[in-house]
Amino acid sequence: MIGNFVQPCLAGLLSDPVSVTHYLVVGAILFVSGVACMAMKRNALGVLMGIELVLNGANVNFVAFASPWLQGAGARSLGLDGQVIALFVILLAAAEAAVALAITLNFYNNHSTVDIDRADDLKG
Amino acid sequence: MNDPVNIGTLLSGTLSDTLTVSLPLFRPELTLSATIVLLLLCRMLPLLRLLDSALVALGGAAFALWYAWLDMQALPVFAEAASTAGGRTEIFSGLLVFDSFTAYLRCILAGFLVLYIVFTKVSGIPDREDGADFYSLVLGATLGMCLMASANHLLMVFMAVEMASVPSYALAGILKGRRAASEAAIKYAVYGAGAAGIMLYGISLLAGMLGTCHLPSMAVELGRFAQAGAPGGSVMVLCLGGLMLAVGLAFKLSAVPFHFWCPDVFEGAAAEVGAFLSVASKAAAVALLIRVAYGLGMPAGGAAAGELVADLAPVRHFAVAVIALMAAVTCTLGNLAAYGQTNMKRLLAYSTIAHAGYLMMGVAAAMALAGPKPAAAATAVGAVAFYLGTYVFMNLAAFAIVAFLRNRLRSEEIAAYAGLVRTSPGIVVATAVVLVSLIGLPPLAGFVAKFLVFSSLVQAISLGVDRQLMLLLLVVGGVNTVISLFYYLRVLKVMTFDPPPEDRVGEAFPLVSLSGAVVTALAVPVLVLGIFWSGLYAAAQLAGAFAS
Repeated sequence: MIGNFVQPCLAGLLSDPVSVTHYLVVGAILFVSGVACMAMKRNALGVLMGIELVLNGANVNFVAFASPWLQGAGARSLGLDGQVIALFVILLAAAEAAVALAITLNFYNNHSTVDIDRADDLKG
Repeated sequence: MNDPVNIGTLLSGTLSDTLTVSLPLFRPELTLSATIVLLLLCRMLPLLRLLDSALVALGGAAFALWYAWLDMQALPVFAEAASTAGGRTEIFSGLLVFDSFTAYLRCILAGFLVLYIVFTKVSGIPDREDGADFYSLVLGATLGMCLMASANHLLMVFMAVEMASVPSYALAGILKGRRAASEAAIKYAVYGAGAAGIMLYGISLLAGMLGTCHLPSMAVELGRFAQAGAPGGSVMVLCLGGLMLAVGLAFKLSAVPFHFWCPDVFEGAAAEVGAFLSVASKAAAVALLIRVAYGLGMPAGGAAAGELVADLAPVRHFAVAVIALMAAVTCTLGNLAAYGQTNMKRLLAYSTIAHAGYLMMGVAAAMALAGPKPAAAATAVGAVAFYLGTYVFMNLAAFAIVAFLRNRLRSEEIAAYAGLVRTSPGIVVATAVVLVSLIGLPPLAGFVAKFLVFSSLVQAISLGVDRQLMLLLLVVGGVNTVISLFYYLRVLKVMTFDPPPEDRVGEAFPLVSLSGAVVTALAVPVLVLGIFWSGLYAAAQLAGAFAS
């Protein structure tokens, strides 16, 4: 059932000229891997890496939507907006990673571990 | 779009627009930025190091409040504001918008900041050494919150949320060497960054489908989709994008099911940090929710745009359904979970969640009314704005009491407050005023705020828009107010009737002291606003005028 749906899509992707769709597929794969990483990793650093993957998945989307050459004729592209957003997101991801790593180090100093599941003193 | 543009004209046009229109309307934010730089400089220069960073921050916040107040004064009166959509001006080439709502929210945030800095100075967290770090983080987060209240572009929505969140993560862990604080910080950072990532992906989907990130242009594109019939599958992608955007907003609002961080962070972090997150962060999140919902669901310039208003009805309906269901669940869960709490900060965290639910009810009513009756929608937005205004005093006072009692009793457990009335009757009266106002009983400010929100729900029911949902919200709101009665009054019961513990440490807490004066200064407005509420109400209605 699913194979019937997926197979023509995959075949289309492989035979068509490169378009926004191909980039969206890459972005979606990054996003899903990131979310899976956030949900399943117990190591705080692994979770942070998952967050980076999610942000980069969105960035791939933005850059693809921004390109006027990838769109079909007549479709609107995001134009420079998309690229500017991607730049801002790269910057923000760095700032967020810096703060999150500092917080992880602080957690390590107090708990001697970076296992997220060990952060269970507060509950109720 | 493809016309050749002379770069000189482009530059001079942008420059004159920035210098003459945008920057003068951006003075409060500029003041905050300058204060942050000054705070950081003070640490480096030997002479300036003698200066207390709390005073620098207080000066900056006072200036920001003064500029925000001037902008508020310069607004047209209500009747005129309603016809010009609150004096709407897009600044910085459409990234931000200045109107009556922006001006009001900035007044609230800057006013809160002034009260907050005084409160933290008196309560002693942060100490002298941490002061510069603490206040630059607080001012930075407030800057982000001001941007949240004026965002007009999805890039700014994301940037503002991050600017408000990232300093808050650090604030949650500002107490060094405490297990609970470090745990609170890591939970907040991981949940927050995850929610922001999902929101960004949603934004990328919305932006890609509609070909723009500018909220009013997105509304135009959505209207075109609705009229021409969207191509197959695109409605699903738009809904998905909208829901992912809602995840980020719900995290900031601590709405169910994205509320898990809230009680843990409030319990683990200092009460001072809890006060900041509970009041400023919540007010900004509600403002951003209104901005995004209105930006996508109504054309800029309000009802004047005619046809587009009708075309956007499905968008508004979707927004009302999402916001209303979330509000009902958030409110109920917050109140039920608060019932069994033994830690005062944790109880206030669940109370914050419940209040986010009440605020979202007002937003849902405003969105439901926006199409058929814009004037009533403006009143509903005004009711939410009024709620935020009173919420500043109620919740800041509640957290101030927790912080000062912690300094005296070395405990934040409700049981430790037993029999306080015998030694410190004044503080118990102040607590009673604040908690009864949080329940929403007359004659206190909380009653007026809740009454206004519920009456906008009644208005939506009587007009028959989204009738079932609005009826559900009204019933849920009423039942929840009754539930909340029990857990707030339980705290008062412990304070008055229970015998004091034998091993009580710490002396009495008279109202005639520096910390007592702070509590009084925060609790008296709760009482006064409950009786003389017309001034704040007029300002809040002016804020809502952008929606008519």
